[in-house]
Amino acid sequence: MRHIRTGVLFGVIAGLLTFLFSGWSVAVMGLFAGVGLGLALESRLDRGSPSNLAKQVLPAALTAGAILLVLSLFQNFVVQPAIGKPSSYGNVFVPANIIGVIAIIALTMITASFRGLEEKWEKRAKMILLAVVAIAFPFIDTFTGLRWTSNVIFALIFVILGLGLNIVVGYAGLLDLGYAAFFAIGAYTTGILSSPQHNIYMNFWLVIWIAAGMAAIWGLMLGAPTLPLRGDYLAIVTLGFGEIIPVLFRNLIDVTINEPLTCWIIPGIQKMFGATSTVACINLVNHMDITAGERGINPIGRPSFFGYEFQSNNPTPWYFLIMAIILLSVFIIQRLHKSRMGRAWMAIREDELAAAQMGIDPIRTKLAAFAMGAAFSGFAGAFYAAYIRGIFPSVFDFSASIIILCVVILGGIGNINGVIVGGLVIMTADRLFLPALKDFLKGLMDFTVLPSLASNPTLQSIVAQNANPILYRFLLFGLTLVIMMAVRPEGLIPSAQMRAELHKDEEVVIDVEDNQKSKAKKG
Amino acid sequence: MLELKDVHTYYGNIHALKGISITVNDGEIVTLIGSNGAGKSTTLRTIQGLNKPRTGTIVLDGVELEKLPAHEIAGLGVAQSPEGRMIFPRMTVLENLEMGAYARKDLTTYKADMEHVFDLFPRLKERIGQKGGTLSGGEQQMLAMGRALMAKPKILLLDEPSMGLAPLLVELIFDIIKKLNEEGTTILLVEQNALMALSIASRGYVLQTGEIILSDTAENLKNNEMVQKSYLGVE
Ligand SMILES: Nc1ncnc2c1ncn2[C@@H]1O[C@H](COP(=O)(O)OP(=O)(O)O)[C@@H](O)[C@H]1O
Ligand SMILES: [Mg+2]
Repeated sequence: MRHIRTGVLFGVIAGLLTFLFSGWSVAVMGLFAGVGLGLALESRLDRGSPSNLAKQVLPAALTAGAILLVLSLFQNFVVQPAIGKPSSYGNVFVPANIIGVIAIIALTMITASFRGLEEKWEKRAKMILLAVVAIAFPFIDTFTGLRWTSNVIFALIFVILGLGLNIVVGYAGLLDLGYAAFFAIGAYTTGILSSPQHNIYMNFWLVIWIAAGMAAIWGLMLGAPTLPLRGDYLAIVTLGFGEIIPVLFRNLIDVTINEPLTCWIIPGIQKMFGATSTVACINLVNHMDITAGERGINPIGRPSFFGYEFQSNNPTPWYFLIMAIILLSVFIIQRLHKSRMGRAWMAIREDELAAAQMGIDPIRTKLAAFAMGAAFSGFAGAFYAAYIRGIFPSVFDFSASIIILCVVILGGIGNINGVIVGGLVIMTADRLFLPALKDFLKGLMDFTVLPSLASNPTLQSIVAQNANPILYRFLLFGLTLVIMMAVRPEGLIPSAQMRAELHKDEEVVIDVEDNQKSKAKKG
Repeated sequence: MLELKDVHTYYGNIHALKGISITVNDGEIVTLIGSNGAGKSTTLRTIQGLNKPRTGTIVLDGVELEKLPAHEIAGLGVAQSPEGRMIFPRMTVLENLEMGAYARKDLTTYKADMEHVFDLFPRLKERIGQKGGTLSGGEQQMLAMGRALMAKPKILLLDEPSMGLAPLLVELIFDIIKKLNEEGTTILLVEQNALMALSIASRGYVLQTGEIILSDTAENLKNNEMVQKSYLGVE
């Protein structure tokens, strides 16, 4: 029964999303929903023979497939006319639906049957499946003409940011409300080092490391004086830092730096004795425009790869580049998490005093978390700057920090997979689904709702003006958070620890003070 | 091996330790008794560097501890089973024990030490994968002691190991403390349960409102009229 419920959930979500995109989207949705449903069911199944497991999930798979098909048909024959588009027949509609339904059923069963493999192979099979989907995605996207890749790339940028922030918040337990500042530092480092702004054109492959290093250095500089602070205080200081950085970049447009000795100190002393100044003031920087303020820095240099220069109109290479960065990041972060430093982070998060008693240097450990976390947002910033080709201070304001924090919390604090899913869900919702929903609603308004309101012009104009979901972006966002925290506070894919923490009642009950037994054992 | 000389510790304006001098020799169990708020925990915290003495010296095997940060002191071989246990609630029993060995440089006997902890506290072995925060009070006490032992300390500081435990368990814990000492561990034991403490210690200090008012062998303290009246409940 629970399986079928999950099947319904995936079928409905996939089906409703076809409303927004139509065309081939049903096939692509079937693919993703099949893998998602399969993975969701897989972890809940008892081990058994693969064919048996596939049979177990068949009802759920069929349910999902049926719902997807029904919604897709409804979309084509009812929704399309309602939003002023013709229903399609034949060469896209038929194959798209057939592929979509087969994909959701088959992939659910195949993925669920992985549970029947040996644990090591189960893991590998899942990895391979995900790798195949990830690699195939941009090609499917190009073929079907959906053009999702460029927005998915945004989601992936936030995945890296989430992964970095997860080190700080999830592993070390330090609440950082100004994390976007490091993202900005990475992006601006890249902008300054590879644009006409200063006529410096450094190679992207070098700049990305410099950006990461720069962000890490700033992480250390901010961390050193503030990390001795605890909890709430630290959060407030990071909040301030997150506010200052965009302001700084906005205003570094007319910078003059004079060498203090020759410009003030020596002339000052001379003046004190009544003499006129004789030293020439050494001027280090004169009216320099470092960041171009609101105008932003652009165009920023693009990476090239063995002679191929990345282009704005072809997102596929960018997609693979960011995937590679994510893979590298995940690899490094997993290593870090299991390392001595990772254990120290955990201890600090649990109990700072106890950690110090174990011989862990709290300041150094927290600094390391801050710097490492910042370094990953430096990567993200460098990629972002090169991908967008221009950077503007407003991108990095407080709301960016909060969104990254939400990626971590919504996905599952402390869990790499959770953060990846969180980033994908939040950012695709924001950049892909919301704009599509806007177009969808506009069609619906123009062709169905508004004409039916023609008798009441006031109401008509109110509805027309407010039927734009982009206006409610933060409202929807907040609502999602509230619902998530109420329903599933541990996030979509929680770490084992968080789950244990938040669902204590579901854990095995532990007997109390049964000391007779242990005494007897000893004696 | 450990020597405190005229140690003064403050919490803001509160003068918690008013010139304390304590010596613990190699292989001894020394106990610090006193009523609530006398400054016993503060003494241990000061040794461990969690509180800094305003004046006075603390020397362990020739190294001055009083200026060092807590984590460095841990690295020099001082481990504590603190008041309130302070185990890591979301780590498992095993992970907690592993954390205990964090500061150790010599890990050659690591496995054997882990086994030894499990020999002393079979209960911990049964609970090896359980989260520290879900253990019972007695189990948490065992875990705190086990974790301190995993540091293979030169000196083990125990802060009220019997607090809040059922009488049978108190006996078990004291048996283990005695056993540990017989195996060569130097122990500074803080207790309100003065009778138990004095029965296993070789020497003791009596602390009252931040001052040492008595110090003698455990045997003499047990027979001291004032101690009997104030701490042993003898009328
Ligand atoms: N964190 C603290 N801040 C202020 N005063 C404290 C603090 N901890 C302990 N004290 C005070 O220091 C004195 C000694 O406390 P403590 O060492 O905990 O006593 P004991 O362990 O002997 O019961 C008490 O008067 C107590 O109120
Ligand atoms: Mg105390």
